[in-house]
Amino acid sequence: MRRLRIISWIALSIFIFCSVPLFLFNTGCKKKEDRAKIIRFVTWRPHFPEVWDELVKKFEAIHPDIKIVREIGPHSSTAFHDLLTQKLKNKSPEVDVFLMDVIWPPEFAAAGWAMPLDDLFEESEREKFLEGPIMANTYEGKIYGVPLFIDSGMLYYRKDLLEKYGFSPPRTWQEMVKQAETIVQGELKKGVEMYGFSGQFRQYEGLVCNMMEYILSNGGYIINPETGRPEIADKPAIEAVRFVRDEIIGKIAPRGSLTYAEPESLALFVQGRAVFHRNWPYAWEVSNDPVRSNVAGKVGLTLLPSFPGGRSYSTLGGWQLGISNFSKNKKASWEFIKFLASQETQKVMALRTGRAPTRKALYEDEEIINACPHFSDMKDVFLTAYPRPISPLYPAISHLLQRYFSRVLSNKDSDIKSEAENTSQEIERILKIKKVK
Amino acid sequence: MKNIIRIRSLTRREKVFAFLLLLPCFSFVATFAFYPILNSFYLSLHNIILTFPGLGQPFVGFENYKNLIQDKVAIHSLTNTIIFVIITVMLEVFCGLIIALIINRQFRARGWVRAAILVPWAIPTVVASQMWRFIFNDNYGFFNFILFGSNVAAYRAWLAEPLFAFSAIMLADIWKTSPFAALIILAGLQTIPDDLYESAKIEGANAWQRFKKITLPLIKPALLIALLFRTMDAFRVFDLVFVMTQGGPADATNVLQFYGYKKIFAEGFMGYGSTISVIVFLITFLICLFYIRVIGTRLFQYRG
Repeated sequence: MRRLRIISWIALSIFIFCSVPLFLFNTGCKKKEDRAKIIRFVTWRPHFPEVWDELVKKFEAIHPDIKIVREIGPHSSTAFHDLLTQKLKNKSPEVDVFLMDVIWPPEFAAAGWAMPLDDLFEESEREKFLEGPIMANTYEGKIYGVPLFIDSGMLYYRKDLLEKYGFSPPRTWQEMVKQAETIVQGELKKGVEMYGFSGQFRQYEGLVCNMMEYILSNGGYIINPETGRPEIADKPAIEAVRFVRDEIIGKIAPRGSLTYAEPESLALFVQGRAVFHRNWPYAWEVSNDPVRSNVAGKVGLTLLPSFPGGRSYSTLGGWQLGISNFSKNKKASWEFIKFLASQETQKVMALRTGRAPTRKALYEDEEIINACPHFSDMKDVFLTAYPRPISPLYPAISHLLQRYFSRVLSNKDSDIKSEAENTSQEIERILKIKKVK
Repeated sequence: MKNIIRIRSLTRREKVFAFLLLLPCFSFVATFAFYPILNSFYLSLHNIILTFPGLGQPFVGFENYKNLIQDKVAIHSLTNTIIFVIITVMLEVFCGLIIALIINRQFRARGWVRAAILVPWAIPTVVASQMWRFIFNDNYGFFNFILFGSNVAAYRAWLAEPLFAFSAIMLADIWKTSPFAALIILAGLQTIPDDLYESAKIEGANAWQRFKKITLPLIKPALLIALLFRTMDAFRVFDLVFVMTQGGPADATNVLQFYGYKKIFAEGFMGYGSTISVIVFLITFLICLFYIRVIGTRLFQYRG
């Protein structure tokens, strides 16, 4: 009994003893921070980590008083959003600089998480960037991020196959379907099994990006920017959705497209099992890399098709750099952003990682044009890239859209019109939520 | 007299000491169980949108709950969750029972078999879900391979079919947690003394009669505990959906916990999301109460 009690006392004291340092530890850490300026950079795992390592080292060499600590998040935009907002809503001082997907600035601005950069990011400097991304970083007249890369949807195609069958890159979706059918049937006779098209139709953010391109290229809107009214239940949008359901999913694109995000759909294309492929610019590097791709050198790149009478639209994507409002080292953070978004760094990124720069001048840079001739074609796409609905509550709107698109696409008998009307009403409800009491 | 006082003071000292020893455990439960539950309930009575801090945190009473009842997505995901719970729990306990009966027998390498059967349960759910996603992949999935072999043209995109995607998630859950049910039932099986079976044999009872009259009644408490744990756990299913389908396609695999997660973490509707959490908590709590009552009475029956 006595012994048991002694043991119990020891256990209890150990418990108390162990919990005390938990409180001390926090303060201990902060003291260290004051000595060397540590910039905590929340980023995702890059495709080419060695390039990033070099750049960070270079920055630290120029600024010996600043140390960059990288926190690597998941590559999926949604998962990265969860991680980052979790930190920001707790007002964590552990975040200084972060990457933002192109749809986040309004949300981060309204929530007070991202710091307005108007005083640092001057008008004259902003003019050197492409307009789309600058617009996406602006919310209620203030700018909250510096565009680092630009993305937009593009049509990849098998140059060799199109040439073989005497086709030129399709201008309309219908033309693309016809070409795909002819090529798939022709190749099947030779014993090669392939699909006509691969895109991203999983129930996730990318589904909205893909569907928006069909809807806009038919003259429709998700939300009309002039009236602010959702137009997904209007005729052009419904027609476009019906086309995707009836002519693409399970026809020229595998039924499995309903489970594909970027990696799965790109895998199909680089295996040489798809004629056409919709993806972001990074797919160019991957599909032309002989190690990772069976179709290296056989890939063409063009604007996305449109419906007859419409014009080609591609969804604007890309990544921005922002500073947390709760950062204690805002000045040093800005130095780091300035370095990353500089002409020089963007050039390195473009040449070595295939990321499309956001600075206009780089599209006339000879070294870049020589190394990546497709960039000059891409510039036109980037200039017309269209943003997703701009709203601080975009994540909620996107979830409604994802649900709607996935429901109608995966069921051939779905009543598109009524589903669209319901979703439209739900979106209107979200849009009506007021910002202040 | 002196003696009595001494005993009293001793017991008081003992009480204080006992309290001290319980304190760490209690503070743990309070911080990680009671506080979050109460806080969720508090949040669910307010309209909090993280994106709009200017909105403040206005008290709205039960408005969130009223909206939840009218929310078609929420009702749909609740239905999904209930179907998921009923089917998986029934099959898990059934499979668990069979597994337990097998590994309770004497045979060579029993230790190995027992360990092997526990493997699915020991794999982290996220890893297991990723594995199941590969198994059902439309291009290189093992499931297609088993069905169609090298006839690639026949391969189907299982996770693209709403109904099948939902079944796939249930299958993954059954695979993963049947061993858990088996473990609990096995513990129950091992408390049954052998002489009961011996005397039954002497009396001329056949295997089915012995199972029905001896095994089943005696492992009932263990069965109920397995049911309780599995129901509570299944109701909170999240990770399988998160990794395998993200709620898609067509929202067919959206479950209540995943919907709540999307509302809070992705959309920033703190108040509304908390309402969903509270509902999940209440339902699990009620199920728990129900089972405990049943288990309690059953336990007394067999003791008496």
